[in-house]
Amino acid sequence: MLLTTAAYFSFLAAVFFGYWLAARYRLGALAVVLFANYFFYARWDLVYLAIIPAASTCDFLIGHALHRSTRPGFRRLLITLSIALNVGLMASVKYLPVLPWVLPLALSFYGFQSLTYTIDLYRRDAKPAESYLAYLASASFFPTTVAGPITRISTLLPQWSKRELLGPQDGGKALFLIGLGLVKKLLIADFLAETLVNRVFDLPKLYSGAEVLAGVYGYALQLYYDFSGYTDIAIGSALLLGITLPRNFNRPYAAQNISDFWRRWHISFSNWLRDYLYFSLPGLRSRWKVFAYLNLVITMLIGGLWHGAAWTFIVWGAWHGVGLAAHRGWQALHGNPKLTLTPGARVLCGLATFHFVLIGWIFFRASSLGSARDILYQISSGTISFANITPAFVAVMLIAAAAHYTPTRWYDGGLQLYCQFPYYAQAAAIAALAVAIRYVAGSGSAPFIYSRF
Amino acid sequence: MLPKKTSLAIATLGALLLLLETARLARPFTLFEVLDFRPSDIPNVEPLPPIPVSTAPITASKRPIIEPNLIDPHDNLRAFYLALWRTELGAPGAITRVLHYGDSPVTADSITADVRSLLQQHFGDAGHGFVLIAKPWAWYGHRGVEVQGNGWRIAAATQVRARDGFHGLGGVSFEGDTGASSRFTLAEDHALMEIHYLHQPGGGVVAVEASGQRLGEVETAGPEKDPGYQAFPLNAGARQINLSVERGPVRLFGVSFERNTPGVIYNSLGLNGGQVQVVVRYFDKPQWTEELQHQHPDLVVINYGTNESIYADYIERYYPGELRQVIESVQAAVPRASVLIMSPMDRGQRDSNSRITTVPTLPRLVEIQRQMALEMHCAFFNTFQAMGGEGTMARWYDSQPRLVSADFTHPLPAGARQVGVLLDQALESGYRQFKAREQRRPN
Repeated sequence: MLLTTAAYFSFLAAVFFGYWLAARYRLGALAVVLFANYFFYARWDLVYLAIIPAASTCDFLIGHALHRSTRPGFRRLLITLSIALNVGLMASVKYLPVLPWVLPLALSFYGFQSLTYTIDLYRRDAKPAESYLAYLASASFFPTTVAGPITRISTLLPQWSKRELLGPQDGGKALFLIGLGLVKKLLIADFLAETLVNRVFDLPKLYSGAEVLAGVYGYALQLYYDFSGYTDIAIGSALLLGITLPRNFNRPYAAQNISDFWRRWHISFSNWLRDYLYFSLPGLRSRWKVFAYLNLVITMLIGGLWHGAAWTFIVWGAWHGVGLAAHRGWQALHGNPKLTLTPGARVLCGLATFHFVLIGWIFFRASSLGSARDILYQISSGTISFANITPAFVAVMLIAAAAHYTPTRWYDGGLQLYCQFPYYAQAAAIAALAVAIRYVAGSGSAPFIYSRF
Repeated sequence: MLPKKTSLAIATLGALLLLLETARLARPFTLFEVLDFRPSDIPNVEPLPPIPVSTAPITASKRPIIEPNLIDPHDNLRAFYLALWRTELGAPGAITRVLHYGDSPVTADSITADVRSLLQQHFGDAGHGFVLIAKPWAWYGHRGVEVQGNGWRIAAATQVRARDGFHGLGGVSFEGDTGASSRFTLAEDHALMEIHYLHQPGGGVVAVEASGQRLGEVETAGPEKDPGYQAFPLNAGARQINLSVERGPVRLFGVSFERNTPGVIYNSLGLNGGQVQVVVRYFDKPQWTEELQHQHPDLVVINYGTNESIYADYIERYYPGELRQVIESVQAAVPRASVLIMSPMDRGQRDSNSRITTVPTLPRLVEIQRQMALEMHCAFFNTFQAMGGEGTMARWYDSQPRLVSADFTHPLPAGARQVGVLLDQALESGYRQFKAREQRRPN
């Protein structure tokens, strides 16, 4: 059940009414959410109904044992068990399918979230869940299942105890985010993909250098709008139940340097990598400064490999790791000159960062290193033909780029305006969007790019 | 306790969407979809059958094999089958020669590379065949031969055409001044290479080297413009061939690589954007005739149609006539050769409901090809039907691995291989049927 389908929104509406009708009783509300979570998983494949409760129960029990135990050796054993369980789950679904069929949904985001719980308890950064039901509902919370945002379970647990009713402001924001997510995904990302990007990445040699370059720029926007569109729908869905999920994107292509980019792109993932992987790697506290740089590269290499066991992802991870290490080295030598930059220099830094990221995206999207080489070769060939670039593609690219750099206050203004609409106008705006999608969207609902990770 | 405003907004939205659906303005949807526990969001496509690659020798079967997608009521493929038979018997010099004209997939040696490889597995490998002098398109490529060219002025019949219409066997002319060069790197040894060029007044000289050794030169000067051919033997291990213009200008069309063993030579002659009208309007007929005759083909495959398939008016008004002219030209040039009209593959497009559907005019074009083949006593291979008919590209796009590019037109390597296997199977089963029939016939 993709988050852009009518089936999902019917399901979400049912959960919304069920949840708030039961909200007076915490147990009832949790039961509704848990039922919704497992229903959502079952829609992907019934086998998840066996995997998820079993894995969640293990982590819940490990969490309590971690909290109670004071023996370091035993605690290390417990956390190793939890890591093995969750990483094993992610890897077995993705790389070593033990079932005779392929599971449609990777369990990466489930695994990441579960690990935040046990690792936080191991580090004594959080308290264990008091309610088994609350833990099960948090670990498998359906809006974050497909592609995040990766949410620390310790931040979800207290939210189930809230007593406030959903206010009109939050309700309006939730609907606004869902609508915005649909626009991003169906009207921009899928359109760009269908019109040029997928074709160019499939058979780059069939297109001129200019078309391939346009396709690569298109992919940068497609990926952002696809993933941030999904995130908006996920955050909006959770907010309809009064649950706040963390922000995942903050205009990433406006980043001034590569470190800044990772503070803006897939924020919950880069925070996870930093907090649970980078800080766990050995050598950070040693007097050898090289470890700080080396660990950045290792962290990004592992981040790359998580996307898939392919050389393209290794190159992508290494590209970013080396970029981050180089930037840190440069900062160590020169300090952080961000505040002293002139507007012109800021634009140049932004362009340089964007193109650094763009080169990485070529490897990220290409089906093989050979294909990435063909794309780079075609771009460098300098051949010019625009036969496959339609005016609609150019228009959507321009709109998408302009929207990306729109000042935050404009976005906030739009949100406020929508929230102030009467309920019928809010409904009418989304209904109009549904009609627009029906007539304008380039395709149905293609799977979200990040659902396969 | 329900949050009032948001609940009202959601309820109103639901009512509006129901109204819109009733008026068919929103996507069709049934509530049953919510309860559908099949993983319907993941493409649910029947797996395509594995590609059978048989290395067993082909023998005559007792019963004729019916091949529904290869229509040959006039026994037009007889010449091709007889040549294959001679080749199979291994008589010295028994080479079966095929010329396969096509559009963009063939330009990349997609489909043809697989047919070549399968036929050569079963009947012997008599060489790679024809290759252009350089890459007119980055997309151009041949499996088993790497081509690199520098300094050529390229005139493809589909783009910047040669004014005189002299486009050689492959539809592309290469004009070079002193210093222009080409390098061919062969994956396997060949015994012979033949350079296709144009004799012309004031023509220059091309030096030929193989693995660093000078083999000779080609003098292209002549009293008038006409096609020229010069062969050079290749020693064992000579896999890097260099051509360089020592004195310009010269015009070259391509190079053929052959072996001195019985087998099949399957020439892949693709033109990006190729259509029958390009052959009719932009090929110089006498020159092309001479090129065809020089090849002594046993089979000529005419595999156009994809590029024409979106022009409904053209298909009805001009396409039959232009297809007829191409067939007539081939039949007049090489009357003893079999001629096979090979229909285009399925071609998809998004319809107004966002579904991938077959381009509506494509089945009509295929039908015109079938009728024309019958009328002109040619054989006809219905690629479109063999692949699965309407909606094939939708299935190919959704299959894992994907078989067609996101343009729903160009096959990915696995898809091209499927089509290559289908054509090979059709030809070989037709051949078995032919052999069985001939062997039953009383002497």
